[in-house]
Amino acid sequence: MPATPATPQPTIELDGLEVQLGGRTILQGLTGSLKTRAIGLLGPNGAGKSTLINTILGFHQPAKGSVRVLGLDSHTQGKALRALVGYMPENDAFISKMSGVRFVRYMAEIAGLPPSQAMERAHEAFVYVGLGEARYRPVGTYSLGMKQLAKLAQAIAHGPKVLILDEPTNGLDPPARKRLIELIREIREAGDICLLLSSHLLRDVEETCDEVLILRNGRIASICNLAEERRANRKFLELETSGAEATFTAALESLGCECAVFAHGRMKIVMPENIEIREVFKVAADRGVQIRRMNHRRDSLETIFLNAMEQTGAADGRL
Amino acid sequence: MAVYKRRYNPYSGALTPAWSRFYVLTRFAFSDLFKSRVFVIFFILALVPTLGFAAYIFVANNKTVQLLLQIRMGDVLTVDSQYFLVFLFSQSWLAFLLNCWVGPTLVSPDLTNGALPLFLSRPFSRAEYVLGKLAVLGVLLSCVTWIPALILFFLQGGLASGWLWPHLWMVVPIIFCSFIWILMLSLISLSVSAWMKLRIVATGVTFISFIVPAAIGAIFNAIMHTYWGDLLNFPQLFQNIIAAAFHAEERFGGPSSFNKIPIPMDWAMLVFVCVFALFVLNTRLRAREVVRG
Repeated sequence: MPATPATPQPTIELDGLEVQLGGRTILQGLTGSLKTRAIGLLGPNGAGKSTLINTILGFHQPAKGSVRVLGLDSHTQGKALRALVGYMPENDAFISKMSGVRFVRYMAEIAGLPPSQAMERAHEAFVYVGLGEARYRPVGTYSLGMKQLAKLAQAIAHGPKVLILDEPTNGLDPPARKRLIELIREIREAGDICLLLSSHLLRDVEETCDEVLILRNGRIASICNLAEERRANRKFLELETSGAEATFTAALESLGCECAVFAHGRMKIVMPENIEIREVFKVAADRGVQIRRMNHRRDSLETIFLNAMEQTGAADGRL
Repeated sequence: MAVYKRRYNPYSGALTPAWSRFYVLTRFAFSDLFKSRVFVIFFILALVPTLGFAAYIFVANNKTVQLLLQIRMGDVLTVDSQYFLVFLFSQSWLAFLLNCWVGPTLVSPDLTNGALPLFLSRPFSRAEYVLGKLAVLGVLLSCVTWIPALILFFLQGGLASGWLWPHLWMVVPIIFCSFIWILMLSLISLSVSAWMKLRIVATGVTFISFIVPAAIGAIFNAIMHTYWGDLLNFPQLFQNIIAAAFHAEERFGGPSSFNKIPIPMDWAMLVFVCVFALFVLNTRLRAREVVRG
């Protein structure tokens, strides 16, 4: 997945953000800066992901600190910020007796589009998300997957600069999830749009985002730039070989690999990004070396997430 | 984002002025309302009494018709403050029924399936939301109260020479009293609609919110041998206010032994009801509910 370029100003800036709801502190001292155009919000249930989104949208008022999106403060410049936002909520959000296209047109007009433009873009958004055939049906009759797509259509119809998706794949079957993830990636790559996706599904975030903010118990557990991780992440191979000689090691090193040889034909190889595994097989075949076992791993978001969850040093909300 | 290209494009066209966006809600609500034939018939019927009152003015100012009908002007056909008082009071009941029909359809559909966060995640405030919904009721109820009253007023002014200027003061109570009644009806029905998510329940509660308090007030009066229970009788409060505003005689609801509630108290009660309805709306119309504890 190609990484989207970072924006000149941080997409999201958190400055000691604290949010209290019903007498409880939900978010505590969040401080950090997220610079890429596709940001994932990760965390277990109750970590504060939706609260952070609601605070960005101005639904909750910070008790302390601030959150800025594209330089706009969510509290003091809320209206200007919401003018840039398209929001797909986690829960059901529709007017059941309205037809799909009328519902999206309605929302686009509230966002400020003139009636004719709103109607045109509502049709386009519906066709784009793949609900063209169902656009004249009342939204209340849609299936869960169709409702999710209708929510996405209303979030993009007015052409926002920031798209906020709260658990977009909730309750979807695998094909519908795949289709929605593809759409989100298309939107991300096609337009000049910043994406903030909240999910507890690592795959959703890994497939769509460049940067991840991991929350735990209302605090930042980790901020991780996936794009940089991907670039910096080198491929590690663990081999168990038979008949490997110094020439095999030298041949691998000539390809740019770093090799460490251990007893009983065991080797560890660090491969550069441009080398594929089949080239290791080719070198082995050329030299009559048997590869009896190969273990290929690269750090995944799961590893990063699990590490963040285990870290205790993040207790103060800063990394 | 052209259909044939099937790709996402941001919008870069013109936007409507921010102050005018509340009207989108009003426009969509009117569009939904007037799709119902039953509502259209009811709305037209609500305008029929105005034709009767207009006919009265026509007869009162046409001696030929009076002769044909063998009516003497001085006997019954006078167009004065009592005439407009009777008109406004009768129309206020039609406005009440119209409000019971329309009010509950306005907010509850947005709350039933959680659409409110979609409104409020746009550059659109809760106040604009309420204003947009209030405008629906404001326009509809105006069409059956002060607008026809003013039409009748100027019809009479046009037909009877020298009548308009001495009676011009009535324009103020016509507009002002109607405005108060419309505001109270609208706020009550919107707050009930925001509280009761099911439309049919909201309709019922809106209706009984005028009947039940009046009954409770009457029971209170009977038990306590007082008249302060009338403060819960909203139509009575409105009648007292409008009768005082039109300097009505006792037989038309003016000050009498039966209406002992002081007018300032009537006003205070109506203002209290409006403030309470606003409080309910403020509590219910939130993008996210916060559970305390």
